[in-house]
Amino acid sequence: MSTVDLTIEICGMSGDGTIAAGVLLNEALSAAGFSLMALDSYPAEIRGFGRCVTRTRIGNSEITALSDKTNVLISLDDEQSQSRVPVLTDDAVILFDNKPVTYISEEKALLPMLEPEMNIFGVPFGDLASQASGSRRGRNLAALGGFAALFGIPADPFYAAIKKKFGAKGDKVLESNLKCFDAGMEFCSKAHELKKKRITQLGTNGHSSEKQLLSGNVSISMGALDAKLAFYFGYPITPATPVMEYLAKYLPERGGRLMQMEDEISSIGAVLGAYFAGKRAMTATSGPGFALMTELIAHATVAEIPAVIVNAQRGGPATGLPTKTEQSDLQAAVFGGPGDSARIVIAPSNVRECYEYTLKSFQVAEKYQTPVVILTDFFLHNRVENIDTPKPDINDMKDGNVMPDDSSKNNYKRFENTESGISPRAVPGMEGYIFAATGLEHTEKGMPDYTAKNHTMMSEKRHRKIHNALDDLPKPEEYRPEGAYDIGLITWGSTSGAALEAVRLARQNGIKAGMLRVGSIFPYHADEIQEFMDKCKEILIPELNFEGQLANLIGHLHRKEVKRFNMVTGIPMTAAEILGAVDKVISG
Amino acid sequence: MKDQHFVVIGNGPAGNEAALTLREHAEDARVTLISKETGGCYRPHLIPSFISGKFAEENLYVFSPSSYKELGIKYRSGQEVVEINLKTHEIFLDHREVINYDGLILSLGGKPRIPENLQVFSDLMLTLKTVHDAKVWTEALEKADTVLMIGGDLTSLSFTSQLIKMNKKVVFALNEEAFWPMRFSRELHDEVAEKLSKKGVTVLDYSRIKSMNNIPDGGVEVHTDHETVCADIVGAFFGLVPDVGFLATSGLKIDRGILVDEYLNTGFEGVYATGDCAQVYHPEINDYWVSIGYENAVALGKTAAFNLIGEKVKAEPECIFNIQGFCVNSSWWMEF
Repeated sequence: MSTVDLTIEICGMSGDGTIAAGVLLNEALSAAGFSLMALDSYPAEIRGFGRCVTRTRIGNSEITALSDKTNVLISLDDEQSQSRVPVLTDDAVILFDNKPVTYISEEKALLPMLEPEMNIFGVPFGDLASQASGSRRGRNLAALGGFAALFGIPADPFYAAIKKKFGAKGDKVLESNLKCFDAGMEFCSKAHELKKKRITQLGTNGHSSEKQLLSGNVSISMGALDAKLAFYFGYPITPATPVMEYLAKYLPERGGRLMQMEDEISSIGAVLGAYFAGKRAMTATSGPGFALMTELIAHATVAEIPAVIVNAQRGGPATGLPTKTEQSDLQAAVFGGPGDSARIVIAPSNVRECYEYTLKSFQVAEKYQTPVVILTDFFLHNRVENIDTPKPDINDMKDGNVMPDDSSKNNYKRFENTESGISPRAVPGMEGYIFAATGLEHTEKGMPDYTAKNHTMMSEKRHRKIHNALDDLPKPEEYRPEGAYDIGLITWGSTSGAALEAVRLARQNGIKAGMLRVGSIFPYHADEIQEFMDKCKEILIPELNFEGQLANLIGHLHRKEVKRFNMVTGIPMTAAEILGAVDKVISG
Repeated sequence: MKDQHFVVIGNGPAGNEAALTLREHAEDARVTLISKETGGCYRPHLIPSFISGKFAEENLYVFSPSSYKELGIKYRSGQEVVEINLKTHEIFLDHREVINYDGLILSLGGKPRIPENLQVFSDLMLTLKTVHDAKVWTEALEKADTVLMIGGDLTSLSFTSQLIKMNKKVVFALNEEAFWPMRFSRELHDEVAEKLSKKGVTVLDYSRIKSMNNIPDGGVEVHTDHETVCADIVGAFFGLVPDVGFLATSGLKIDRGILVDEYLNTGFEGVYATGDCAQVYHPEINDYWVSIGYENAVALGKTAAFNLIGEKVKAEPECIFNIQGFCVNSSWWMEF
């Protein structure tokens, strides 16, 4: 099979079944063996208002980012789909409902905006669904059937996806949906028999074993479950809420407990309480919720209580752009809160790392007795990728607690100033120990002490501890090292995938480009980062924030000013955009 | 002309020319060209050669779809008009979109005609008018050895030559109705039959086709009043009829085509008909005439466009034949 790299969008109005169709499409294409990445966008408003778009990119090799161009548009609503026209490729395939219930004016119709060179397929989604099932509700399924027929994808993976989604709703519902899908497939097979020959037939890409379609949200949740999470405390907020939804379903099955709290302050408070008692606990929030948590996060740094906090960034500041993506909480995650409250901040770049980083974070939090912030974003939380089913690393599942030994029983110093900075931690219930947790500056035994000498010593201890954690944190990864570079990209979080594609393209274009992906934001691996910087004539740091917050943090390691590429458009950066920035830097 | 929206329906030679003329002479107006066929304006007479592989598809087109964009004409191909409301100036498209217009040129061309007695067998016969039809033929011919041609219009004669070059066995059922609106004379029938026979074509001697049916293993069985013929493909070639069926309730006056005055106006302000679909009044002969042929269509398209933008240009046929009581302006007829 030739190279497959196809982006498919489904666009409709809220209530059209757009997102549901996207879920089925992703399931089916994943089962058909394609690499896949997908992201839905939907309005923050209630049902009936606003545009829904699902965006799926498939390929027969690794997909690391979404594309900035769309090859296939499945339109469930003409007016809403007009917004997708600017991103269509010149030879795009468009399926649209050519028999809507009412006539549409030229100003609101999709077809006037399309170019005749495009492959336009009118399919009466609603009529087909109505004939097949007695209701137009299944028009999204008819659309999927049409898509499958035009691209030569067998029905079986779609059947499986439909059964998975509707099987529990009874035979009648399942049968209706299957019939609607079949009706769309049959129509396009016959009505567009000749025209579809212009379209590359995809078939299947072979079935790679154990591929699972996961979102960042689910991956984080699975990581937490495999880490034997005992308690989840949270308050709903976009885009972190699905973590709580998933755990509400599965955490009790694993013996854990979940409680929806009255706000984010109580959520982090409960997490600290659980961890103080020696139980693994976590919360997930977004920018506004994280802002509320900062006081208790700082408290945890000085009281040396573990905590795992997911901050799923969205457009900010404040309430900001709830359903848009951004990477603008880095500084808040690293520095947010009063005083010198150093904590660990890690940032996964893809769905697989969401699992791995979450799994590891509990152990790290225990070992270093500190909050660990897992810094993700809307894009990473909501996108789905089909990845090998995550399997926990036994080493990362181990208890990270550093417990006091018996010899310290009668002279136990909860905050002992050790060389590593880690003070063995006793938890309530252990006989012969005192159990201190205080936000006041304190002595090694946990008694208040505001003297200059003590505060300096304890500050040094806490920071030493955090910086010593580097060995347990994900090291920066350089993409296919090639010696010296004309330009080196340093990336973090969800932007890394697009940057990786941009570097591949740059190399194809003859540009000596390198890339270093940073997973541990704080503390960061200064030596490795500087070593990479020294190999590069220019350093470019692409980030979805206004100033360049990672650049602010690590830029000083470079011998000269680092270049920044920043966007605050609320949508993921694309490889084409980053490549444009690379070209600009190279050309001076 | 500012903010005016001129719409041309049909992208044959007349419609294409009308759109180009409007674009050139009404610079500020919005010009939309609607065609139910995909691709651009093509040369119909090259279609048989396209099927035989002599011409690539791109060589069929006078204008590629992208050319319209460059010229500033909104080209809407593959979109079919199903109704027009001349009072509200609305055009209704098959995919349920409504377009408003300020000026309208109907250049609907023709569609393959099937005589009434054969319409019951329509599903068993292929026709040949559009590029899409040609592609259907091309695919069908890949698996075919024998082709039965029923009718006998000019397209069929040209196509037969190509089929012979493709080493297909051609059987011809010449029909007196082929040259609608004229009828084959016995002399012409015999002359054409002789020429076909010399080319290796089997010409059937029959009066009427009684029935037709699919053969289980493929192909079609045709029963005439004299014999039964089996063919892999059956083609119907009875000329074209103006494609004006959807205008039946529009209020336009329609006979064999849309009746227009010598300025191609339909009687409705700002609405013109041109090309093969128009029957044009000629004050000198006090009768209507129709046009056949590429060059004539181009001339009429230009005339309609000029009149829409306020010129007063009469449609002037080069030569009118009166055949069996029907007036035809035809250059190809003279060539034939």
